[in-house]
Amino acid sequence: MPKFNIDADPQHTYDAIVIGSGISGGWAAKELCEKGLKTLVLERGPIVEHVVDYKTANWDPWDMDYRGALTPEQRKKHYKNIRTGFVGQDTEHFYANDEENPYTEVKPFLWVRGHQMGGRSLLWGKQTYRWSELDFEENARDGYGVDWPIRYKDLEPWYTYVEKYAGISGEALGLKQLPDSHFLPPMELNCVEKHVKKRVERDFPGRHMIIGRVAHLTQPHNGRGQCQYRNRCSRGCPYGAYFSSNAVTLPAANATGNLTFRPYSIVQSIMYDDTTGKASGVRIIDAETNKDIEYKAKIIFCNASTLSTTQILLNSTSDRFPEGMGNDSGELGHNLMDHTYRVGAVAKVEGFDDKYYKGRRPNGIYIPRYYNLDNETHTDKFLRGFGFQGAGYRGGNAANINGFGAEFKDKAMKPGPWEFFITGFAECLPYHENKVYLNKEVTDKWGQPTLSIDCEYKENELAQNKQIQIDAVEMLEKAGLTDVVGFDKQHEPGFGIHEMGTARMGKDPKTSVLNGTNQIHAVKNVFVTDGACMTSNSCVNPSLTYMALTARAANHAVEELKKMNL
Amino acid sequence: MNRRKALKFTGNMAVAAVAGPSLLSLFQSCKNTVRADWQPEFLIQKEASFLSTFVDMILPATDTPGALDVKADMFMDKVMANVYDDAGKKAMRANIAQFNADCEANFGKEFAELNKADRIKVLEKEEAKGGQFGQGVWGTAVGPQEPVGFYKSLKSMTLWAYTSSEEIGKNVLNYDPVPGGYDGCIPVSAVGNKWTL
Repeated sequence: MPKFNIDADPQHTYDAIVIGSGISGGWAAKELCEKGLKTLVLERGPIVEHVVDYKTANWDPWDMDYRGALTPEQRKKHYKNIRTGFVGQDTEHFYANDEENPYTEVKPFLWVRGHQMGGRSLLWGKQTYRWSELDFEENARDGYGVDWPIRYKDLEPWYTYVEKYAGISGEALGLKQLPDSHFLPPMELNCVEKHVKKRVERDFPGRHMIIGRVAHLTQPHNGRGQCQYRNRCSRGCPYGAYFSSNAVTLPAANATGNLTFRPYSIVQSIMYDDTTGKASGVRIIDAETNKDIEYKAKIIFCNASTLSTTQILLNSTSDRFPEGMGNDSGELGHNLMDHTYRVGAVAKVEGFDDKYYKGRRPNGIYIPRYYNLDNETHTDKFLRGFGFQGAGYRGGNAANINGFGAEFKDKAMKPGPWEFFITGFAECLPYHENKVYLNKEVTDKWGQPTLSIDCEYKENELAQNKQIQIDAVEMLEKAGLTDVVGFDKQHEPGFGIHEMGTARMGKDPKTSVLNGTNQIHAVKNVFVTDGACMTSNSCVNPSLTYMALTARAANHAVEELKKMNL
Repeated sequence: MNRRKALKFTGNMAVAAVAGPSLLSLFQSCKNTVRADWQPEFLIQKEASFLSTFVDMILPATDTPGALDVKADMFMDKVMANVYDDAGKKAMRANIAQFNADCEANFGKEFAELNKADRIKVLEKEEAKGGQFGQGVWGTAVGPQEPVGFYKSLKSMTLWAYTSSEEIGKNVLNYDPVPGGYDGCIPVSAVGNKWTL
């Protein structure tokens, strides 16, 4: 792959600027470049070149000073991110520096960030699900939030388009609440998962336990290698077997010759031109030199990640938009959502002690939503619904084995007990009062105002969590598992790392920020296609929907440019 | 395992979290460390003797290497010095001192100085206290966790130091860095010991 052109020219007017290079920014870059637009991608952090910069990808535990554990200095640098439990010596360089990039938790909220080329597309969970017709209709049906300006049918061809390129593995089931993707062959369930699936589906009609649908290749695809079952994904995959901007969309954008990729570029604001009624460009701070630089473009795509995009828009003030660009409705920064996280049940599995598996599958089981799909599945306890992820595996802490000495040592080297868990992800209603706003008292390393986050789960989310735990315990008990224990870690929002909303799409400029093609209602040449645009948040993982929305919006942007409408 | 990889060492790091608000009893310094040439980074000499003796009791050399062979004690000292925060370090010191004080009270000598039969009695008594590590989900313990004392925590850390060493990882456990595929059902007899990674 040729190196990225990083020589951005402030004298030049680009056709397009893309802010951010994560899942959605990578797609914006690819689509716009492939359609012939000279595109400047601005990335806050360093270049992470596919393969070359995956420096920890092949490290074994003994290759690390402390076998993966973080030092107090590293824990301090990541004092917020480490709450996830995912940050280790092998991955800490892909998590943002919390000390240099502070934010204020008015109420507890975990904001996980990845400040590098590829953003969190290097770290994501790869669970990949289409939203359903139902998901786009929920707001209109129960009156929470505003109605989506689009429906499933509007996005359906774009789901197909991005899936065919990205490569999604899974099993087609024809479920209305979880439409099938264009699938590569599914990954395999292990023997315990197959057993539990059979029992759950027998005893709970309408519930399904399926292999997770994931953005991992199960066969070679578009020049990328298939999954090698190492489960070292978050270090970057040298095979390019999972979807990341680094492995997939940015190389495609680069191959067109139309891409300029500028690292260490902190976008301060988007500039508004009163005479044209459009955005004229972007003002950045060079993270290394602290210099202010302006870049001009015909269209601007905001893909900085949900809250960062909104932060930039709030900071983009002008006479026309004193409260932030596109904030005529007063909804910018509002209606923040996430999925509830780590509530479910764990259990032991007996009768499979002679069975094991080979390979470290970066995937597990999924139980699609089964409440409030129709009259038959309606419940009065809560609106909307939840799904589960989970897995069966041999684990356990060998220190639980009784004894010490020679005999103990032999036992401790054998595979541990079979364990099983399922954990729910519930849809969160869009509440106006769950919000972010600019905090000028607390500034980042570059003197920029930061975000205050004021968000909490309310009655409907807590009612779902209660049901998640009841159902999880019931399913695992009925499946014949032992030592079933329900749990609810009562995590604050943000832990799901599915933050959505704060610049929502809608039909009415009075109550929403973006229109049906992700354009700011009052500044049509600015597009927002990351999680900020979401009007509701379903209960399924959102990344695939960001990809589809981005490809659709990019297509619309180019059509409008051709018609001279932008 | 899933969504994002659970960190295997999370449970094993628990030693730091086991607070030992016990009296920091000081005793006469004991014999040499088990290792003549070792300059620990964190432990003082008699603490190092305790740790070396402890890991050898938990995972002795048999037809496969023991904890001392793979320098588990030396690695644990390095972790205490460079990974633990001040509270964790303080707790470790206090817990070792308390453990030795109990040995002294019951057997008249600190752990490293006891004969093997008495050390076995000490550890059997510790085992009888129970306390099991609960299950986790994606690297974080879930559900109610019963108290796990210093002994179990140090036993867990010993196992981590042992199984994460190159010698054990490559020659005792089943090392398969690039499995290449997934087979969801194989007989345990096909591999014997567990996978390294």
